[in-house]
Amino acid sequence: MCCSHSFEDKPLPGQKPEAFDISAVKGMKFFDPHVHMTSRTTDDYQAMADAGVVALIEPAFWLGQPRTGIDSFRDYYSSLVGWERFRSSQFGIKHYCTIGLNSREANNEALAEQVMEILPLFVYKDGVVGVGEIGFDDQTAAEEKYYRLQLDLAKEAGLPVQVHTPHRDKKHGTQRSMDIAIEHGLDPYTVIIDHNNEETVKEVLDRGFWAAFTIYPFTKMGNQRMVEVVKQYGSERIMINSAADWGISDPLAVPKTAALMKLNGISAEDIELVTYRNAITAFAQSGQIDEADFGVNIDQSARFEGNSILRGGQQPRVDKSSIIIS
Amino acid sequence: MFGYDTEALRHLLATIIQNNIKLDAWTWLSKQGDINNTANFNAAFAMMPRKTGKAVITITTEQAEQLNTIRPGFVIEGWTADRLGRVYLLLQADATNREHYFAVIENLFLAAEMNELVALYSALPILAYPDFLVKRCAEGIRSNIGSVLEAIMYHNPYPAEYLPEAAWNQLVMKAIFTDKRLDLITGLNDRNNPELARILMDFARERGAAGRSVVPELWHLASPFTDAGIVNAVKQQYSTI
Repeated sequence: MCCSHSFEDKPLPGQKPEAFDISAVKGMKFFDPHVHMTSRTTDDYQAMADAGVVALIEPAFWLGQPRTGIDSFRDYYSSLVGWERFRSSQFGIKHYCTIGLNSREANNEALAEQVMEILPLFVYKDGVVGVGEIGFDDQTAAEEKYYRLQLDLAKEAGLPVQVHTPHRDKKHGTQRSMDIAIEHGLDPYTVIIDHNNEETVKEVLDRGFWAAFTIYPFTKMGNQRMVEVVKQYGSERIMINSAADWGISDPLAVPKTAALMKLNGISAEDIELVTYRNAITAFAQSGQIDEADFGVNIDQSARFEGNSILRGGQQPRVDKSSIIIS
Repeated sequence: MFGYDTEALRHLLATIIQNNIKLDAWTWLSKQGDINNTANFNAAFAMMPRKTGKAVITITTEQAEQLNTIRPGFVIEGWTADRLGRVYLLLQADATNREHYFAVIENLFLAAEMNELVALYSALPILAYPDFLVKRCAEGIRSNIGSVLEAIMYHNPYPAEYLPEAAWNQLVMKAIFTDKRLDLITGLNDRNNPELARILMDFARERGAAGRSVVPELWHLASPFTDAGIVNAVKQQYSTI
């Protein structure tokens, strides 16, 4: 979730931009474990599929516009397991999601209570690989209350947890998120701490949690910094994601960072771990990820007798460079 | 309540399921289905693939024939184990209290993921009070999810038996718009009608004007109710495409 853009980290002027050469990562497979496709276009799906993204996780988050009623939440969760899952399958990308009450909307307590009541209806759904993204935003008492309740839900459902860490007072918020998770008896190996940076990563790894990094321009990690992090900390329990959403973000962040790592001499094995394998290992603890489903149709039942054009990877292409639209 | 022998269907599906899933999964499934315990019923419905797996079931020719005798037009070949398990679960639901029965099932529709929707729409021909499911079926046809549409359109006897003409015509047009196979739609010829022919001919003219093609079955459906000269004239539009 990208909640509040601040633009103070703009790139230095005069830096020569290097073009993304997709051939550098040709043939590689990528898993983006955090991307809000609901807020993206079909162009993004096509570009992601072309760049080798075979599967992704869409965490439930704040849509930008606050929800005022329980039905909005219900329809949103339903769309994550329904319509968006189908939309993704049309481009040959396997779509998983995590379900949860985001920290920002946890502050609407009257509504949050109702959301907690319907969450059990969704966390057991097929293809739900975790409870997320949950955690702290402003670090209020209400946020803490619903974070704790959802940790218990994850434990009961046997699901990993995808933890959003705050933009403001980040280091402290990250530590608190981990402390509370441990207090609730969760195994750190089932908890993915998201949106790390150079300041938070060491403690997250030392305490046995998964450390996810969001490559997101201006407000989160840049991928040059990410290369340095992997050089320093290696690839164990580290994963990267785009967290692309309704803000200025890049759904190709994972393949682009893989390409940059390759150019900077990081081993193919390490690249595979941080851009594909580790995310699968972490979230497959849900029992809901089967690599055999990647890059194919919706699933077995959908393949039966089907020869519809609404099939994985078979969406018709339009020539965007042409003035003609037919 | 039901228009067929539910006991016979339960018995036959139980046999088929037992042949297709592991014993512990069957032991679990055979204990589910109490809709008065809504939370448990919902949970069983959601977690079906965790228990049954998703392999495509096998069924003997004899069993397929028995199915067709018990509930004419009901076909389960090519279904996955979770889809059949879910339909079987719905079949266990006590329908005596109609209001409660519909409330539980409608709630499943409202929070359904893609494969759950497929199972729910697949169950239309065997649910109780079929007259009351017409709106739900018509709503399903408004979906744009390919597998959901196929669950309603392909080998499903419910739409042809219960949909009013306008909704039926929507189904056929939606099938054409989403490139579905018309030959798999149960009752396609039986439900053919002059209004559908008119819509199809208008559609053919529109497609011709846009320089696009139409599926050949369109002429087959339109011809019985359309002047042969008009069909040929519209077909001419396509001769240059």
